[in-house]
This record gives sequence, structure tokens and C-alpha cells, in this order.
Amino acid sequence: MQQGDGVETEVTWEDQQNINAFGRLNNKFHELEDEIKAKKDMADNLEDASNELILADEPELRYLIGEVFTHLPVEEVEEKLESLKEENSQQLEELQEEKNEVLAKMAALKKILYGKFGDSINLEED
Amino acid sequence: MASSSERRGIPAATFVKDVQEFLVQYDGNPGTCLTALQERLQQYKLAEMKLLGQKRDLLAKIPDIRKCLQVVDLMMAKKGSEEPLKMDFEVAEGIYAQAEFQDTETVCLWLGANVMLEYGCEEAKELLTRNLDTANKSLKSIVEDLHFLRDQMTITEVTIARVYNWDVHQRRKQRAIRPEADTAVA
Repeated sequence: MQQGDGVETEVTWEDQQNINAFGRLNNKFHELEDEIKAKKDMADNLEDASNELILADEPELRYLIGEVFTHLPVEEVEEKLESLKEENSQQLEELQEEKNEVLAKMAALKKILYGKFGDSINLEED
Repeated sequence: MASSSERRGIPAATFVKDVQEFLVQYDGNPGTCLTALQERLQQYKLAEMKLLGQKRDLLAKIPDIRKCLQVVDLMMAKKGSEEPLKMDFEVAEGIYAQAEFQDTETVCLWLGANVMLEYGCEEAKELLTRNLDTANKSLKSIVEDLHFLRDQMTITEVTIARVYNWDVHQRRKQRAIRPEADTAVA
């Protein structure tokens, strides 16, 4: 994370803790990105399923739970899909919020660390 | 100084306040010191891989438990209804058989080690919920371990950079004092 240009700047325990925090947040940021992507894919799939459901004219559908297909009436499948959609979009929102928080914290730490170390530190992704 | 000296057998990295002072334990030799630090970093990385593997396993296990719970929930919800519950089972890859359930009282849970045990639906739900809870708790503690490990790795990395910088700085100083020792201008 640091570049060796030979300029000596004293690193205090507080600086070290800030660097640690930054590293952790950066890690968290990537995890959140992955999770958000997974939730978005899930949202797309659920949307596709609902659209197909409108076209289906059978009274009973096979709904996959675990590894078995359960025969369920259309209305019940609709209900289940809707509640899944709702749950998914709520989780997505929470993740987005968390991501924004992480980004804000990272920006604040960047300001502090660049302020002290200038070019001697590199906090950008390669 | 550091928040704790170890966590689950992972030793904490010590924060170095003064590089010169720190180097005394390596007889003032930055090379030996860097080798030792790199070695430590490798050990941390190994531990991280192990923990990431455990995390991955749990992340696969948790949805599995959830799926089981969904099935048990559905069976309980359908209990007492007139219509039997129909399900398609995969008996072999790509081959399905149909089963009908009516007023199912019990389910069999695969406990592992070639053991399957019959449970009442309520009991099964309880057990599965408990398992889910345990899995979530272990996941949480693994994530915490990983955080701790990440901090130790960052500290070690920063220390490596600082020892390296210190060394470069010392060489420059020496060159400035005795420029004839090195014809190249620093």
C-alpha cells in the first residue's frame, strides 16, 4: 500500500489504525459490490419469472423448493414470488446504503492519509 | 499498544514506532528483518486462505439449511388441507418421480455420517432453525477473525514498507557523506 520513495514521514499508531481501517473498508466495499450484483441478478430472475407467470394458463405450476418441484396453484406461486421480490429489493436497498456509507468513510480516510503522507502512500486500486 | 496480542492462535503483528530501534533485534540488518517480516506475511496469508475456505463452506451451507426449512414450512402449512401435496422428486439425474403427501406428520433429516432420523415437523423445524443459528454465528466469528487477520496483514505490510524506506534513506545519507564511495550521483 505504500511506495518506497525514501522520504521519511513518521508513522504513528493512529496512522496505522487509519490505514487498517481503510484496508478493511476497501475489502468490505468489494464484498458489497459482489453481493449487490447477486441481488440484482436475483431481481432480474424474479422479474422474468413473474412475467412468465402472466403468460402461463395452467392452474397449477411446479415451484422449486430446495431440490423438489412442488405442485402449487398459480395464486400461491404468485404470492411467493411477490414476497421474494419484496424481500430481495429490501435487502438490495440495505446493501446500497451500506455501500454508500463505506464509500463515505473511505473518502474521509483518504483525505486524512493523503493529507499526511502525500505521494508516499497509494490508496488507489491498481 | 495493539488491541490484543492474539486471536484464535493468530499472533498479532506489533506496530513499530521507531524503525531504527526495531532493527536492533535484527542486529541493525534491514535485509534479515525484511525476510522475517515477509515470512510472517506469508503465514498470515496462509491463515487467511484457510479462513476464507471455511467462510465459503458456511456460505454454501446456510442456503441449504434455509431450503430445508422452506420445505418443512410448506409441509406444515399444507397439513390438514383437503388436497394432497404433490411433489416431483429427482430419483436420478434428469429422472423425476411424483409423490403425494397428505397430513404429513414427520420428516426425516439427514444428520450426516450415514444417519437419517425421523422427526416430527415441529421438532425438525426447531432443529433446523438451531442449525441455521449456529451456522450464522460461526460465520460471524469467521468474518471477525478475517478482519483481525486483515489488520495484522496491513500492519505487517506497512512495516515492510517502512523498513524498506528507512533502508533507502540510510543509504542515501551515507552516499551524501562519502560521495567518492559511489561515483553515481544520488
